[in-house]
Amino acid sequence: MGISILDVSKRFGSYPAVKNVELEIPTGDFVALLGPSGSGKTTLLRLIAGLEGTDSGKILFNGVDYTNKTVKDRKVGFVFQHYALFRHMTIFENIAFGLKVRPRKFRPSKSEIKEKVFNLLKLVQLEQLADRYPSQLSGGQRQRIALARALAVEPEVLLLDEPFGALDAKVRQELRHWLREIHQKLNITTVFVTHDQEEALEMADTIVVMNKGMVEQIGSPEEVYQHPVNAFVYSFLGRVNELKGSTLSESTDRITDLADGTVGYIRPHEILLNKFQQGDSLPVEVSHVHTVGAVVRIEFKPLDTEEFYGAEMDIEKYKELGSVKKGNILYAEFKNIVVFGKETETPHVLTDTNRLSAAIH
Amino acid sequence: MIGKETTIIHFNVSSAKKASRHGAIKKWLLIAIALAFLGLFIVVPLLAVFSEALSKGMELYVAALTEPEALSAIKLTLLTAAIAVPINTIFGVIAAWGIAKFDFKGKNILITLIDIPFAVSPVIAGLVFVLLFGSQGVLGAFLEAYNLKIIFAVPGIVLATIFVTFPFVVRELLPIMQDQGTEEEQAAITLGANGWQTFFRITLPNIKWGLLYGVILCNARAMGEFGAVSVVSGHIRGLTNTIPLHVEILYNEYNFTAAFAVASLLALLALITLVLKSIVEYKSQKH
Repeated sequence: MGISILDVSKRFGSYPAVKNVELEIPTGDFVALLGPSGSGKTTLLRLIAGLEGTDSGKILFNGVDYTNKTVKDRKVGFVFQHYALFRHMTIFENIAFGLKVRPRKFRPSKSEIKEKVFNLLKLVQLEQLADRYPSQLSGGQRQRIALARALAVEPEVLLLDEPFGALDAKVRQELRHWLREIHQKLNITTVFVTHDQEEALEMADTIVVMNKGMVEQIGSPEEVYQHPVNAFVYSFLGRVNELKGSTLSESTDRITDLADGTVGYIRPHEILLNKFQQGDSLPVEVSHVHTVGAVVRIEFKPLDTEEFYGAEMDIEKYKELGSVKKGNILYAEFKNIVVFGKETETPHVLTDTNRLSAAIH
Repeated sequence: MIGKETTIIHFNVSSAKKASRHGAIKKWLLIAIALAFLGLFIVVPLLAVFSEALSKGMELYVAALTEPEALSAIKLTLLTAAIAVPINTIFGVIAAWGIAKFDFKGKNILITLIDIPFAVSPVIAGLVFVLLFGSQGVLGAFLEAYNLKIIFAVPGIVLATIFVTFPFVVRELLPIMQDQGTEEEQAAITLGANGWQTFFRITLPNIKWGLLYGVILCNARAMGEFGAVSVVSGHIRGLTNTIPLHVEILYNEYNFTAAFAVASLLALLALITLVLKSIVEYKSQKH
């Protein structure tokens, strides 16, 4: 089912949780609502589900106005952040609940319910747990049961609120992969909320970046990562260095008339470190070196400043560079400084100094 | 070297033993004090009630309980509880549900209002009803015109009992419901359940032990209430006397054996309540 969100707003008291959101979700899409806490992403999800009412704007399902329909009429599957499994029911009863509460006319027979529940348990690979209670399950298992329960009513839209937020890193990784698989198998329109950019980049077909109740950018993972429309999206989608004042003008050499307060952004892996001066590279002092798996992170500060920056390189590059210790002097080259103008303007990627000067003027 | 090590271990063990012996003395001392207090103020009076009740033999005991006025008091007490407890259970659940699951203005005022029957002396609670429904009261003339009797009649006793026992169920349920939040109910709704299904299949099973506990306490108080009922009852023998009022009348007439015999019924009720309460607590802990 396709979902259209037209100019939707929602306030809690005087706090605007969602402001004039426009969003088009085509049938079968896998969408991540990505943003920091308080960005309105969960509220938007609950508005789609009907768990909150809109203050203004419209929500259409397949072109039909569903703004004032009840939760029940919307037939969405909703997976809560803390699973909200019914604690006094077994896993079987939990999954069967949505079928058992149907009016008698539409209620499947007992044997049909049983068959369906076990099919779903098979789908989530937890057949052996049918008679357990939720309190006897691990977090990852509960999450999968919550999903099976939501799928039991055959929803046309699946909504997940921070689905992996409460799980440890390894289980999270497994479940991401598994949820993707289920989406491919069932091809059901899926919207999930996350504050984890990696999760969004890894799983979603479409990412909706939200901030302060508004949509900042909508696009594929490549689009939002490679072509962020503004500083917020750029900095939210990965590690970032901010270049200000003298460091910015020095690292971009011939530019002398940068407006005050202009901020340049650069990702850690786009900073090149050398032991010898090359072109317009900047002398810097190493303050910290640490290895995280196959990646080496080097923290440094340009000489005569107290601003710290981080560079990242894979371990091969690091070996080429040779051993680096705290206090060493290196030369940093800033390859891809990005400067954002006013919010509506497109960003300028400053790759070489000639183009840079053109961009600033 | 080995020898040294063993001595050190020995030393640790003995000092640990000493510490635990010291702890045990403290523990038993505290328990003994608590038990002595409990015995003096609760067990001894309770035993006194039963021994006094049975002091003139089983026959007199049974006679005191089966005389018409006593029977009528027992009946009235049971009737009062049978009306007050279900009403307070239903309204208690509704009030706790409303307060715990919804946000609205004046919530704290409502919670305070619910506590008033606990805060106010039962005698004042009784007087309020006299002032409202008595012949000199606000609604007195109206009631008289339609020949409705509330004060010095059964309806007054029921009203006063409902008032006094109102907070038990709400107070018991409120923290449980607030603690459980609304996520399970929301999940039920997204799965297609309607309001009734959500309440009976999700909310009620989650609060059942707390509810039962509240009902037991409410019932005990409804049967044992003296102050408020005493003010509105009028003490008409065989008509508006409940068990506690009947006990008082017998006692004032120096009919001690009968008074204690009837009182032993209330004591027995208290004991049964305690047993039920422990069973409920045990069961709810298991869940």
